[in-house]
Amino acid sequence: MNFPSYFWYTVLWLIFWGAVGALVTPRVYTRKDKFTYQTAMLGAFVGAALGPVGLILLWWFTPPASLKWLGLSGLLILVWLAAAFAKADPDNLCVTSGSFIATQITNGLVIGAIYGLMALGLTLIFSILGIVSFAHGEFYMLGGMVTYYATEVWFPDLNPLVGVLIAALFTFALGAVFELLFLRPMITGQIERPGEYAILVTFGLAFFLQYTTLSLVGASPKKASRFFDYPRVKIPAETGDLLKITPGNLTFFDLISIPTARFTALMIALVLLFALLYFLYRTWTGKALRAVSQDRQAAAVTGINPKRMNTLAFALGGMLAGISGAALVQVFSWVPWVGIPASSRSFVIIVLGGMGSLPGAFIGGLILGVVEALGAGCVPDPHRAAAYLPAYGMIILVLVLLLKPTGLFGREL
Amino acid sequence: MRNNLRLLKALTWVVGGGFLLILPFLIPTRMHVAIIALYYAILASSWALLAGYGGQFSFAHMAFAGLGAYTAGLVGKFFRLTTAPTHVCHEWSLGGWWLVVQDTGSPTCLETAKASMPAGTVIMQFPSWLDITLGILVGGLFGLLIGALVLRLRRTYLALFTIAFAEILRTAINAERDITGGPGGLKVAPLFPDGITLFGHHFSAADKWPPYLVMLILFLGIMALMYWLAGSRFGLFIRSIREDEEAAGSLGVHVVRYKILLFTVTAMFAAAAGGVYAHFVRVIAPNMMVIKEMSVVISMAVIGGMESLLGAAIGAILIEFALEQLRNDITIGSFTLHMTDWRLVVFGALLMITLRFWGNGLIYPIIQRITRRGVAEETVAKRLQAAAANPEEPST
Repeated sequence: MNFPSYFWYTVLWLIFWGAVGALVTPRVYTRKDKFTYQTAMLGAFVGAALGPVGLILLWWFTPPASLKWLGLSGLLILVWLAAAFAKADPDNLCVTSGSFIATQITNGLVIGAIYGLMALGLTLIFSILGIVSFAHGEFYMLGGMVTYYATEVWFPDLNPLVGVLIAALFTFALGAVFELLFLRPMITGQIERPGEYAILVTFGLAFFLQYTTLSLVGASPKKASRFFDYPRVKIPAETGDLLKITPGNLTFFDLISIPTARFTALMIALVLLFALLYFLYRTWTGKALRAVSQDRQAAAVTGINPKRMNTLAFALGGMLAGISGAALVQVFSWVPWVGIPASSRSFVIIVLGGMGSLPGAFIGGLILGVVEALGAGCVPDPHRAAAYLPAYGMIILVLVLLLKPTGLFGREL
Repeated sequence: MRNNLRLLKALTWVVGGGFLLILPFLIPTRMHVAIIALYYAILASSWALLAGYGGQFSFAHMAFAGLGAYTAGLVGKFFRLTTAPTHVCHEWSLGGWWLVVQDTGSPTCLETAKASMPAGTVIMQFPSWLDITLGILVGGLFGLLIGALVLRLRRTYLALFTIAFAEILRTAINAERDITGGPGGLKVAPLFPDGITLFGHHFSAADKWPPYLVMLILFLGIMALMYWLAGSRFGLFIRSIREDEEAAGSLGVHVVRYKILLFTVTAMFAAAAGGVYAHFVRVIAPNMMVIKEMSVVISMAVIGGMESLLGAAIGAILIEFALEQLRNDITIGSFTLHMTDWRLVVFGALLMITLRFWGNGLIYPIIQRITRRGVAEETVAKRLQAAAANPEEPST
């Protein structure tokens, strides 16, 4: 790699002192008879941010692991990394062009919102059924496939939004049927070791759906055309300094540009997000769902049927993934295994946000979107940048699992 | 009576091993499939030890096999033993020999150095057994690391973590194409580059008998080792950890040690299978570590019977042959069913249905039935004996 080696030395330095901090700090706190909660994470952050000096200060003063110190040291780590990167590769677009960074971050947020929506489905399933569906990405893939076939092949004049609706209904029904056939026996006690069964059977479903789709539609990539063409508009009318719209692109402030297909997808995701929030917080069924996630027995006592809520949650979760896929089929090209990276993204997001936490899933989605966009845009060798795209999220996952397994907003175990 | 059971067990091993030994004579055109089937059998049964016995649902098993394969391949690509120093490459003196590490340049540093080296200099690759051993060690090392990292993680978290590890590894191998050849694959030398003479018959490097025998010996060895492990305290402890970690710990099982040991050992088995596989197929690609391969191995173990090593192995062998048989397209009138894809659909459905209705798998109950029959006959014989000894006791 022609990338200057001192960038890697910086990274190694951060990792080394982070590891030292994570391993030693809880012991220091224990010896001093202090509260050790989250001190491994604090030690890792301070160690990485300030090296041995910071660690000695930390072990001397042993402050409680508050958000203040975690946040400050976390920010400092990012500053170090950015500085080392800028020094190592001064000609990189990420260093020289603010507009490029702003565009990357905005695009990351837009895609991240849709990832977040998909992860919301998974976290909903987890909070009600207590399982993680390893077939979540396949619902996403099917949502996109059904939309593509509905709008481009079967009914070419169909309004794309109707296509999205068909995809939603299809994935909802699929989720409900699967839950009734394969997951219902878990709670009626017909299965030994339900936890392990759930992992394997959803894994089997993923495999089944992938190859069924492959057999039916083939492996060639499919790409739906943009759902909507935007009119050409300039605000203000002469220069377009504030907002410039072309059929394929939106430009804000002459600085940030977003493809309109992504913008449409974002709008679909936002509408759906608010519909979901309305459903969960304002309707009887939604409240019942949340009640079951908080306490099954208590919910059952008040007249909610937890079994029905299980089916509803799994179907709804699948539908959210399906709609995310439907919204993105106009952005990415679609193959039967497009669900595999999508699955892993959803795992990363729900672990990052905290298993079972709805706001956590959405915010986790935004974070992952930004990280991926920056990673894809900034890594010097474009071939490597694309190849390592799935790894960025996985690195986040590994870090979260090691440092704070409950995630950002998870319920404490 | 106990001796009888032992005899039965020994007989099973001899008959099973003997059958696998003569299998290639029965299907000489399908030896390739037979070797791959044994490769899957090793993976499925060691996964059964990890997940079925130990309850550790790891999805990184193919990654360990890939580590074994790629270590073997990369050692073959970059490491050479020479009798003279090159003065250009990284090299270490090993008492008369030099261990030379080539670079990725073209021509490599060794090729440039060749001209200036004295005549009669020997340049040789590592023998296959050595790079497979190195692969096993690397696999074991990673198994140790992963095992230590996932100690606190249970079920779902463990599954997510191991998927992440497998994907990162695959991505890295895909991306670093200068070193690993990327998606195009990495060429590996055959198991015996100069051929080998066995029982007075010379087999060429491309011949399928030697790799079959090596894979068979590896399979039988690993199976024997795993049965010994499963029957020892180790097996008892990991089963107790599967049932209840806290309870096992409170009864004196060193949970940390046994979990790490379990990960290390099964990773080494997988890496061994991967190393031999690499030398047999000769071109390895990151595709051998995709999720689909992992699904195939899991399905084999589940359909065979996750809580039985033998069941998983038989399941793997049968399913691999079935998958190969099902490759032919089926034509109904003008409609052609492309079985290359549809067979995996059938397989996925079979996996789900087996899980749902036959939690012990499809093959394990049959094995149980056969072994149980022996037990039943023994019990009957015992009762008859007892009845003959004291005739006044009412027989039931």
